[in-house]
Amino acid sequence: MIKDITIGQYFPLDSVLHRLDPRVKLLAATVFIIMTFAVNNFVGLLLCFAVAAAVIACSKVPLKTVLKGLRPIFLIVVITSLLQIAYVKSGIVLVDFWKIKITSGGLLTALFMALRIALLILMSTMLTYTTSPTALTNGLDRIFAPFNKIGIDFHTITMIMTIALRFIPTLIEEVDKIMSAQKSRGADFESGSLIKRAKALIPLFIPLLFNSIRRAYELANAMTCRCYNGGKGKTTMNALKFSGGDYLSVALTAAFVASVVLLNIFCGEYNAEFTFNAAV
Amino acid sequence: MSHIKTENLTYTYSAGTPFKITALDNVNIDIEKGELVAVIGHTGSGKSTLVQHLNGLLKPSSGRVLLDGEDIWSSKEKVRSTRFRVGLCFQYPEYQLFESTVYKDIAFGPSNMGLSEAEIDERVRRAAKYVGIPDEMLGKSPFDLSGGEKRRVAIAGVISMEPEVLILDEPTSGLDPAGREQILAILKNYRKMTGNTVIVVSHSMDDVARFATKVIVMNDSRVEDSGTVDEVYENSAHLSEIGLSVPQVTEVFIKLKKLGYPVSEKIYTVEQGYSELMRLFSERGLLK
Repeated sequence: MIKDITIGQYFPLDSVLHRLDPRVKLLAATVFIIMTFAVNNFVGLLLCFAVAAAVIACSKVPLKTVLKGLRPIFLIVVITSLLQIAYVKSGIVLVDFWKIKITSGGLLTALFMALRIALLILMSTMLTYTTSPTALTNGLDRIFAPFNKIGIDFHTITMIMTIALRFIPTLIEEVDKIMSAQKSRGADFESGSLIKRAKALIPLFIPLLFNSIRRAYELANAMTCRCYNGGKGKTTMNALKFSGGDYLSVALTAAFVASVVLLNIFCGEYNAEFTFNAAV
Repeated sequence: MSHIKTENLTYTYSAGTPFKITALDNVNIDIEKGELVAVIGHTGSGKSTLVQHLNGLLKPSSGRVLLDGEDIWSSKEKVRSTRFRVGLCFQYPEYQLFESTVYKDIAFGPSNMGLSEAEIDERVRRAAKYVGIPDEMLGKSPFDLSGGEKRRVAIAGVISMEPEVLILDEPTSGLDPAGREQILAILKNYRKMTGNTVIVVSHSMDDVARFATKVIVMNDSRVEDSGTVDEVYENSAHLSEIGLSVPQVTEVFIKLKKLGYPVSEKIYTVEQGYSELMRLFSERGLLK
């Protein structure tokens, strides 16, 4: 159950995408996500999907695994779609029954929103699938390095993020173990009223919290023993370096931004009525 | 009559994905009532997966688990009642304590069983006595105890359910020799006082030799060998092949034999070793 969560997971493979500089991947993913929200017509959206497909193909991550990452957000997509259908009243009225009024504009906006969310999740999972947590925070550390000069200790923030990411699998394992142990003593996590179920979580959360604090102390000691004293004067063993592929990726990202902007200008904002009529 | 038994038990983790791992492969074990069984094997051999099937925490991918001849997965109620009849204590159980007092933590299992207050009280005190927790400790917070004390409280939390089959996954790991002795004494005592079955997962071949009436050797998700200590330990060469070793005292006697001394190699505990040496000494007239 808990093990099905794939957001934030790393999928170790050897692909072009895995080898890219994490800074490039971070920036490209951010730009891509901004563009999926800037795009205002279906042609542009199609281009975004083409790019996403190309990225997935380059990553060598099995398509099934990628799509599995979309599963947890399915409910969110459904709810946003329903809200769009309920609130957007433009275009042709398709259904007018009792209090329910569905318009072509509502349907198209819902579809547009759903595709945007799917793209957003697809791209961010692709980022974490192809970039190890260490590389990711290393990249963030470098990108935000200038902030250290103006007194914001970004290194500490990225270190906290690295540690947090590192301990997600450990905590999941621990939850599993404690649940099994308490189930062995007859704890019931699956049935009963809401209050009863919330109460049933106490035997899970107290040991979990206690063990996390204990582990934090141990980790702090271990870091101190290795002379960790924050980011000051610290250099990295694997310094990040741009290679040919990185320059190419930056160029491709720029081309993508330009295409979306041009499509926005020339195809114009999608017109619900027009698109619907064209489709029919 | 067999008390707990598995029939062609097979279990695969992450079935249907590329990460599929077969953790148990056609495992058949048969344990009689009142036995003290040791399950041994190197890390990753499937010991822990096996014991988690015996109280219904894991559902077999195929095969059956029988308690008193009945399939524990035959109905939903059956699985839950099995958890009370087969008590499982995990490795490092002290990290699962959660209540404000030792008393309440030990009472968690019995109160989940829906027993009366009086019955719960009786069971908590009885379990505390088994594991050697004095009355004045029952009011303390479990988080204030020492590591060994915590371990004993956690074991008492399982014993208080008075399970017909008590299973412990590496109960002595991380304890000092005195702590280990205490835990082993608890197990022997529980079996003697109640006549119930006890199953222990262990790494320590020395400990196993001293207490087990039956040994099950796991290797690569299968049962490699099973029988009495003498039967299993006889083949010391094979045991070391699968990453296990014979007790230190056995190694000493194997070396003595190689050096030409007329001693038996089938020595598995220090006591046996002592009498064997005494026999040799008196044969040679070294004892007055």
